[in-house]
Amino acid sequence: MSIAELIWVEKYRPSRIDDIIDQEEVKERIKQFLKMGNMPPHMLFYGPPGTGKTTMALAIARELYGDAWRENTLELNASDERGITTIRERVKEFARTAPMGKAPYKLIILDEADNMTSDAQQALRRMMEMYANVTRFILIANYVSRIIDPIQSRCAMFRFSPLPRDAVLGRLREIASREGVKVTDEALEAVWDISQGDMRKAINTLQAAAATAKEITPEVIYKTVGYIEPKDIVDLINTAFSGDFINARDKLRTLMYEHGVSGTEILRVIQRQIMSGAINVPDEAKVEIAEVAADIDYRLTEGSDEEIQLSAFLARLMLIGKKYGLGTSKEAKAPAKKR
Amino acid sequence: MSKKIPWVEKYRPRRLSEVVNQEEAKKALLDWINSWEKGKPSRKAVMLVGPPGIGKTTLAYALANERGGYEVLELNASDVRTGERIRQVIGSSMKMGSLFGFKGRIILFDEVDGLNVREDRGGLAAIVELIRESTWPIIMTANNPWDPPKFRELRDEAEVIQLKPPLGEEDILTILRRICNAEGIKCEEDALKLIAVASGGDVRAAINDLQAAAEGKRVLTRDDVTVTERAHQFDMFKILDKVFHARRFEDARSVTFLPSFDWESYYPPWVLDNIPSVYAKSIEAVSEALDNLSLSDVVKGRIAKTQEWELMPYMLELMTVGVALVRNKPPLARFVRLTFPERIRLLAKTKEMRQMRDALINRLRTELHVSSSEVSLYYMPLLRLMATSDTFKKKLLERLTRIMGGYSLESVEKTLGGVGVSASGEGEGGAQRKSSKRSGG
Repeated sequence: MSIAELIWVEKYRPSRIDDIIDQEEVKERIKQFLKMGNMPPHMLFYGPPGTGKTTMALAIARELYGDAWRENTLELNASDERGITTIRERVKEFARTAPMGKAPYKLIILDEADNMTSDAQQALRRMMEMYANVTRFILIANYVSRIIDPIQSRCAMFRFSPLPRDAVLGRLREIASREGVKVTDEALEAVWDISQGDMRKAINTLQAAAATAKEITPEVIYKTVGYIEPKDIVDLINTAFSGDFINARDKLRTLMYEHGVSGTEILRVIQRQIMSGAINVPDEAKVEIAEVAADIDYRLTEGSDEEIQLSAFLARLMLIGKKYGLGTSKEAKAPAKKR
Repeated sequence: MSKKIPWVEKYRPRRLSEVVNQEEAKKALLDWINSWEKGKPSRKAVMLVGPPGIGKTTLAYALANERGGYEVLELNASDVRTGERIRQVIGSSMKMGSLFGFKGRIILFDEVDGLNVREDRGGLAAIVELIRESTWPIIMTANNPWDPPKFRELRDEAEVIQLKPPLGEEDILTILRRICNAEGIKCEEDALKLIAVASGGDVRAAINDLQAAAEGKRVLTRDDVTVTERAHQFDMFKILDKVFHARRFEDARSVTFLPSFDWESYYPPWVLDNIPSVYAKSIEAVSEALDNLSLSDVVKGRIAKTQEWELMPYMLELMTVGVALVRNKPPLARFVRLTFPERIRLLAKTKEMRQMRDALINRLRTELHVSSSEVSLYYMPLLRLMATSDTFKKKLLERLTRIMGGYSLESVEKTLGGVGVSASGEGEGGAQRKSSKRSGG
């Protein structure tokens, strides 16, 4: 009994390779690979979020080991492991015992590998070689350009592309009917408008909507987007832009101390929100913000107190907001935002 | 009078009746030990759960002292608890008869959540096995048994007894009065109140403060009491006042020579909290002061990493002079209003909630195959929303309470919502409205 069963993304995560939506080319190649021989090369999955990378890795694990897949698979998320040393230790420990089942190797899935520094990736490369006779790595990344060349050259690369509209909508319809939720075609369009080819976002949006209303209409969808967008962070940015530092700081503290979001993560989401256009900011201001954000990112890793660093960042946003007259329009929350 | 022995030890409750405020836990413990004495233990083990300093170990010993006394065999976090060692120490004694005509033994595993997976390899499994085989009652104590998830197994073996949160002022006053009587000291009620308030629920701290103020006296008045925390605050107000009003380099830097200038843990959060309100009239000044404070923090981080103590002057100057001498500094009133750092209060207030929340996030990230930041940013809000929905609420809370076993539904809901339901979303109606304004607490 787990909570994850209540979360539709997890409940409806395909467990077999063939059930994965779209990505036909990737699926064919992977099936060939698995048939091929005893030791396929390491693999690198890359592509935007919500396109099936992690699902594919887990499906491969099931394919290789059947019910014993958990014992033979080590799942790591680079953003959660404290540095390369802990990754090394966990890999070492895991590789100590022999695999069970038909595959002669154990599987290591390393998610968000592109969040690792290049030094850490160098160490990872050595690890991949050291345990090459007993393990296979599946690395997962959003941006392949952030993976160092020596690792790329050691991996079979698989590119996952954003899912096509019909595939996403078809899946949403299926889930809605299995959950007994009424959803109009226009509402599904609205979901697509928000999620585009990101299946995870699409399903989460649908579920958030289902939690607010019995019948899902486009209005319901737009009303609930706030919950799966980092709305708190958009609020935080707008408050800082508007010059209300004390209020912005309170919001920052809620995020840090009550919701447990790390300072680095807050900074990066702020950066992403501003650069992606989720908040209306002129290009000159974006350049200034990028500069400050990069500086603060560095100070966060060097310094010792995240709240001090983030406060300094908010104060700079406040200055930039003043300079460009941002954050003054309180109704900056028009529902039909495109992304 | 007597030898100098810490009052904390001298007045540690020896019997259950002397333990204040934990009536439910006491009853549960007594029921449990009774069932053992009747030869039909309800559970082999109990687990006492609560924050540090609340008296878990004291309770265990007090129970052992009841009715003729049990001998306590204790293993705590400082022992190396490999499976083998646990079996050695406890296993052999389990077979031996009772030594001094005690009724029997109680085995105490103190701070089981301090078990280190790496160093105490097998320790957890050994404890579970021992519980199953044990012929003696076993008491475990834990600060936070929800994390890591592997503790589940251990929790399932035991009856979890949740202790009540830290003592209130009244409870502490009761304890202080009792000690004053025993020591034959006449204590002014105001004096005791002052100590009780300053202790913030920590009995140990309160008793220590009382001893410092009252030992050897016949009468204790309010003036005898100088509580450390208050002294600290007072100095910090003076320091900040000097920094903010400084007009010259030397004036601002001079505070760093004061013995009470704590650059490491006190000064930074204090100054951080007060810059925005003191300089409120000039956002340029706020920004520059925070920027310099941020740079001082970078130097501090560097010193911590590399031990380059020669960098220290830069750090000290940036955090004082860098805050005092900023461009566009607004004119300040002669007395500026300074406040106690919110962070310290916030962290203390939300400690238990944060522990539970982190355990939940940790679990979800494994189940959902995503990073913990993704859980806290995207899935926690979704769960919060689900907790307000007819469709999902019941099932969700059912599962959550099962996972967080031992805690009340109310505290589980609290965990989900952050303190007093977070700013991000309570319920349907608020979804579209601009999030209601919320002060930091």
